[in-house]
Amino acid sequence: MYKAIRSESFAAWAFMAPGLLFLAVFTFWPIIYGIPLSLTDYSVITETHFVGLDNFTRAFQDHNFLISLWNSLVYVLVVPVIQIISILMAILVNSRISGLKMFRAAYYIPVVTSMVAVALIWSWLLGNNGVVNYLLLKVGILSEQVSWLSTSSTALYVLMFITMWKGLGYYMMLYLAGLQNIPADLYEAARVDGAGPLRLIVHVTLPLLRPHILFCTVISVMGAVRVFDEVYILTKGGPGTSTLTSSVYIFQKGLEQFNFGYASALGLIVSVMIAALSVLVFRLNRKGGVNTY
Amino acid sequence: MTTNRKGFTVSLLLVVMMSMLLAACGGNDNTAGTPSPGSTGEAGSEAGKPVTLEFWTIALQPTFNDYFNDLISKYESSHPGVTVEWKDYPYDAISQRLLTSTASGKSPDVVNLNTEFASQLGSKGALLNLNEYLTDEQAKSYFEGIYNSTIVDGKAYALPWYTGTEVLFMNTRLVKEAGLDPANPPQTREELVEWARQVYEKTGVAGYAQQLVSKLFPIDGIPILNEDKTAAAFNTPEAEAMIAQMRDLMAEGVVLKEDAEFSKQIQYFSGEQVAFQLSGPTFINFIKKSAPDVYKNTIAVTLPTGKANLRLSNSMDLVVPQKSKNPEQAVEFAAFMTNAENQTAFSKVANTLPSSKASIEDPFFTQSDGSLEAEAKVASSQSLDKATDYMVGVPNAGDINSALARGLQEILMNGADIKETLNAVEKEVNQILNQDS
Repeated sequence: MYKAIRSESFAAWAFMAPGLLFLAVFTFWPIIYGIPLSLTDYSVITETHFVGLDNFTRAFQDHNFLISLWNSLVYVLVVPVIQIISILMAILVNSRISGLKMFRAAYYIPVVTSMVAVALIWSWLLGNNGVVNYLLLKVGILSEQVSWLSTSSTALYVLMFITMWKGLGYYMMLYLAGLQNIPADLYEAARVDGAGPLRLIVHVTLPLLRPHILFCTVISVMGAVRVFDEVYILTKGGPGTSTLTSSVYIFQKGLEQFNFGYASALGLIVSVMIAALSVLVFRLNRKGGVNTY
Repeated sequence: MTTNRKGFTVSLLLVVMMSMLLAACGGNDNTAGTPSPGSTGEAGSEAGKPVTLEFWTIALQPTFNDYFNDLISKYESSHPGVTVEWKDYPYDAISQRLLTSTASGKSPDVVNLNTEFASQLGSKGALLNLNEYLTDEQAKSYFEGIYNSTIVDGKAYALPWYTGTEVLFMNTRLVKEAGLDPANPPQTREELVEWARQVYEKTGVAGYAQQLVSKLFPIDGIPILNEDKTAAAFNTPEAEAMIAQMRDLMAEGVVLKEDAEFSKQIQYFSGEQVAFQLSGPTFINFIKKSAPDVYKNTIAVTLPTGKANLRLSNSMDLVVPQKSKNPEQAVEFAAFMTNAENQTAFSKVANTLPSSKASIEDPFFTQSDGSLEAEAKVASSQSLDKATDYMVGVPNAGDINSALARGLQEILMNGADIKETLNAVEKEVNQILNQDS
């Protein structure tokens, strides 16, 4: 028995080893190495000096960094929206109606499309003379063209929408997997007891999806705080600092301005923030189990 | 036992972290020897030792392979023992490549960078001071304004290579429709604004689109930094007036209310959503492909000047990284690539402008066959003697540019208060100047 368990765990580790190795080299090591770097003025090209906690004190006096943190927190608002819509989509594509396979595939296409392509397509659609303005002007919702990505009041929300549009299919698939694990007899029993479609969702589906909701929410929060691609491609943080997110600012400080020591300090602060948010999400989702009705 | 193990693990982690910290604080080997002005005149490698020079350019392969291969073999045959390895990278990748190769101790010897990036690296001490290697005669062979653009604290960090100055492209169909005469183009920014206003009133098409960048200040004679480059100098009533005028023009519709990157500007001009375009001659290649009809109706004239009465150059440079293992040979090769003869030849194959004074005397830069390309070339080459880069000698140019661009966007796109924003950007720029990192 003990031997079997040992050989089984050995096999598990063996399967995980390649992935873990990559993670160790490209994720864990840079994170660990970032800690000593954050205490220096490392810039790759010039002599490095130890600066103690200067980078951290500078970070909390850096107006642009504080704005970028705030924007990243605002970006987290996309999480509940994306989760609710993807759960509803999963419930829809899980029903036994013919032709739904096509929708399932269609919703998933944005997920596998490169973010660069997605960003460029949306930049055309949202351009001054793009399709979005054209349609909204036609139906009378707008009276004049709106520069969606160049206007501070709309740019961040437009980017959040693009993030949501691209991620929906991914979360839908995860929830779909969860839905297909819910035993059909639970629904049968609920129906016998007189539950309608809405009560089925509230009292059967959602409680049993809780582990999936927790997982999806955590990774979605992490993704929202770390968002980079769409912001960098479409607005580079502009106009002004309207869409400056923490990842974009860290990239600019490190890879564009060669302040790697400072960028490492910013990265550590953001990592701590993401960890705190993840813990918060776990705590909020700790209660659970199947509700009786 | 467990506590001991935990303690051991924590100690081990601390030791590892401290050793990494010490490693990160390691010295910076400067392999450059003691130079002497004019040492670039020597042929071949020192004491006959074979030398390999790594030469990096931005986006010039495969279009100009023949030109470079010919030039490199000519150089190698006249410099026995010297081998030049030419590598070419996309514009977006070269800075990352330079960082990674420098970090791994394999610095290239001669690198093609733009002026902003060269100033940024130079002020961080990552590039050789070329003043220590070049003779006066060599330094004076370049247009002064362009050569001086990468001098920070009296140190010249780059040799100017191919360059460009902006010209004014005009959509003659729209200009004529507005009742204006393209044969008498506007000479000043004020006249250009008047023309743009008339085009907008008569045709409904905006005058022009532009990117909100720091060069808007020096165009109107507002210095970005003070004389000795130690503090911001742009927070002035003149700057407030300039930005307020820009804001009003955007509100009127005369200038597009957008922070338009070059690709966006191409779209607007191609789609006849603007009548004018202010940019370098390379702009022609894009509209020729994307909008042949607009191309037919376009003419190029000398760029109207702002209050400062100067025209800005946009140069590519050659630099020698501080960590090059063959600094003398590297400077010599960079000087060879940027000498008048080779710059003239490159301008002819690449349709760019030279930064060497002697090149401009070639008939190629004064004669026009009437084509838009030739008009643009002649119009822009006439501005070279007055041309200067707008980040002349600015340390950490990249950081300062970002701060100014963000400030302009806040005011013009987000409606922020002009004075408050200028105060905030001034504070930020002064912080950048006072930081060592």
